Amino acid sequence: MCSDTPKQEPRSRCTLCPAGCELRIGGLGAGGYQSEPPMVGGAGLCPRGLAIGELLDAPGRIRWATRRLDGRRHEIGLADAARAIVAAAGDRDLVFFLDGALPCEQLLAADAWCRAWPRAKLCVVLEPAERELLLGTEASGAAYLSDADLAGCDGFLIVGDAFAANPACSRGVFDRRAADARVAIIVIDPGGGSAAKFATCRVAAPPGAELAAIAELARAAGVDCPPIAPPDGMDVRSARSAGLALAGCKRPAIILAAEYGRGGDWRQIGYLAGRLAGALGGGVACQTTGANALAAVRLGPRLAAISLADALARQDAAWVTVGCDLLGMLGIRGREILAAGAAFANRSTEAAEFVMPAAIAMELGGMHLLGGQRQVCLEAVLPPPAGVLEPADVIGSIARAAGVEAPGPTTAVGALSRLAAAAPSIPAGCAAAAAPPVLMLGRQAADAGCGELTAHASWQSAVGSPPSVRLAAADARRIGVKDLDMVEVRTGELSVRARVRIDHALDAGAVVLPEALREARAMCPLHVSPATEAVVASPGTVNIEAANDYASQTA
Amino acid sequence: MITQARQPEIDKRVVIDVDRCVECQSCAAACFAGHARMPAVSFARAGWALLPLICRQCKAPACVDACPAEAMVRDEAGIVRRRLFRCVGCGSCAQACPFGVISDSLAGTPGTIKSPGELSGHQISKCDLCADRLAADAKAVPRCVAACPSGALRFVDEHQAEADGLLIIGGRSAADHLYKRR
Repeated sequence: MCSDTPKQEPRSRCTLCPAGCELRIGGLGAGGYQSEPPMVGGAGLCPRGLAIGELLDAPGRIRWATRRLDGRRHEIGLADAARAIVAAAGDRDLVFFLDGALPCEQLLAADAWCRAWPRAKLCVVLEPAERELLLGTEASGAAYLSDADLAGCDGFLIVGDAFAANPACSRGVFDRRAADARVAIIVIDPGGGSAAKFATCRVAAPPGAELAAIAELARAAGVDCPPIAPPDGMDVRSARSAGLALAGCKRPAIILAAEYGRGGDWRQIGYLAGRLAGALGGGVACQTTGANALAAVRLGPRLAAISLADALARQDAAWVTVGCDLLGMLGIRGREILAAGAAFANRSTEAAEFVMPAAIAMELGGMHLLGGQRQVCLEAVLPPPAGVLEPADVIGSIARAAGVEAPGPTTAVGALSRLAAAAPSIPAGCAAAAAPPVLMLGRQAADAGCGELTAHASWQSAVGSPPSVRLAAADARRIGVKDLDMVEVRTGELSVRARVRIDHALDAGAVVLPEALREARAMCPLHVSPATEAVVASPGTVNIEAANDYASQTA
Repeated sequence: MITQARQPEIDKRVVIDVDRCVECQSCAAACFAGHARMPAVSFARAGWALLPLICRQCKAPACVDACPAEAMVRDEAGIVRRRLFRCVGCGSCAQACPFGVISDSLAGTPGTIKSPGELSGHQISKCDLCADRLAADAKAVPRCVAACPSGALRFVDEHQAEADGLLIIGGRSAADHLYKRR
């Protein structure tokens, strides 16, 4: 339930991205549910939203607590599981990695439990690049734009594959273009995503050089910005002409999608983009995974939570993931975790000794920041199945088993006002780019995040296997493959077999795998930035070989 | 009740504005969810673009002429659709369709379901313009159109389209007669 309700939303909405698309949940005759777009008046529903209905009562749903013994999973009661988790933790501290895309009330309730239990530390988990991006935009002071606001803008700068991150945001861009065919659509996306084909001006930038491109563009637009040395391969001329085009706009929109594995400059990108938008009288639209990432960032100072970098550094602590697939999201391999609360099997549950059933975000009503920064209270699409705990209750049940007394009522969410974040320091140059072919991860409209939820839906399963790898035509010729051939993308011990999709919008040397592919996430080098303590996944060098054997072709 | 007598043609059809398609495949996913996991939306790559292929509801439907089991019919509402329990999955309609929108491999998923546990065992999927939605609400649109987030798909009345400033490219029949088509 909402503790504070500035606006009550009577309709079911998808909360897998900030668009918050309306949906209908219908029952199937043979059991289960399906989601559908509204009969009349809807604004679309992408494959992620369409997957929600099926996921609410999917056969693979985790409904009971289990414990791994001798390599097998055995069902145990929830209370027994909580007691066994506390016993197995022993004297170690516990770190609870909680999904940050949950309603605000869940974050506050989980925080209250962790405050009451000195051995417990809470870590709110967001996609690392998105958290950094939002900290940057918050510091910039720029206005946030909703999808509906975009039609009123007269120029667009799109960074990353924003149309895949939130397909609904494209409608406003196209509506504006229909009214004014000369509207500038500038795209900076080394991954050549779906927005690139609509660009009136595409700024060529090598992987990880988005910041230098925006800085060049901002300087050309007359915005005060420290110079950043352009890396090799960046088209400075196109960046400057894009800046001049944007300078002529009265209300430009900067649409940002921070994709995983694209480097560590997202806070600076968010800040510069916000400054640029603000100086020109426009605003920014951040297309995040999950509808509530901005709310989680704004709640951050009110929570006694530790940063993701700090939590990952606590290797001797007992890790408990709740609602998020930490290991899948960060591509961490070989790390055992004590317990995982999840709705579906994922990398974290596979590595966990204990698994607890947890509700998904759409089964929890509560406060969200949708469409820019519109604070709304959403009702649950459906209540969680019997015996499935809310994420905060997963933490609460373990705390109770440790003898922690229940905390008092949680404070009201209240107004989620802008964060007073400090301006990030702008580097003088970009980090050295990896040698080509460079692996990048690209957003897909089919999946949210690392796919821990949507990958369990039947349509996503049908079209996502085998995965597609996007290659530039020149690279495909060099390797000797054509469209739909199988290739093996390899780095070190890791490899992914994928079907080739030649992408004419992609620059030579770039290799793009789906962001929701956890194997691909593991291929991106991960480190913690010493300056900002941000967790950074960077583009990495890979090898690609044709894999046209019979087994691959029939995969 | 469905009869083989000549039925009225439906004036509305699904059209795509190619300048708006962001390749999200929401149309295919919506069709998949709404039609017992047998999507009638397929895709074709045309240069840079991946475009959905959706039944044009032909004026003289070749799929109806070609179907040996009389599974493909034009129903009372004028919609060319497949009768579930008559379809034997022979693929004749897919071969006959001059626009290639009936296929046994749709959106990467098998359009012909041949597992013993699925319905009659042999099925070809075919767009019925989401007749259940149209029957339930006069203002409703097919799932693919309702799901399209970018506004690329529209459900338009052909006679009204010109008045609305829409130029529809591509007709609803390759020719009048089955043999002429071949």
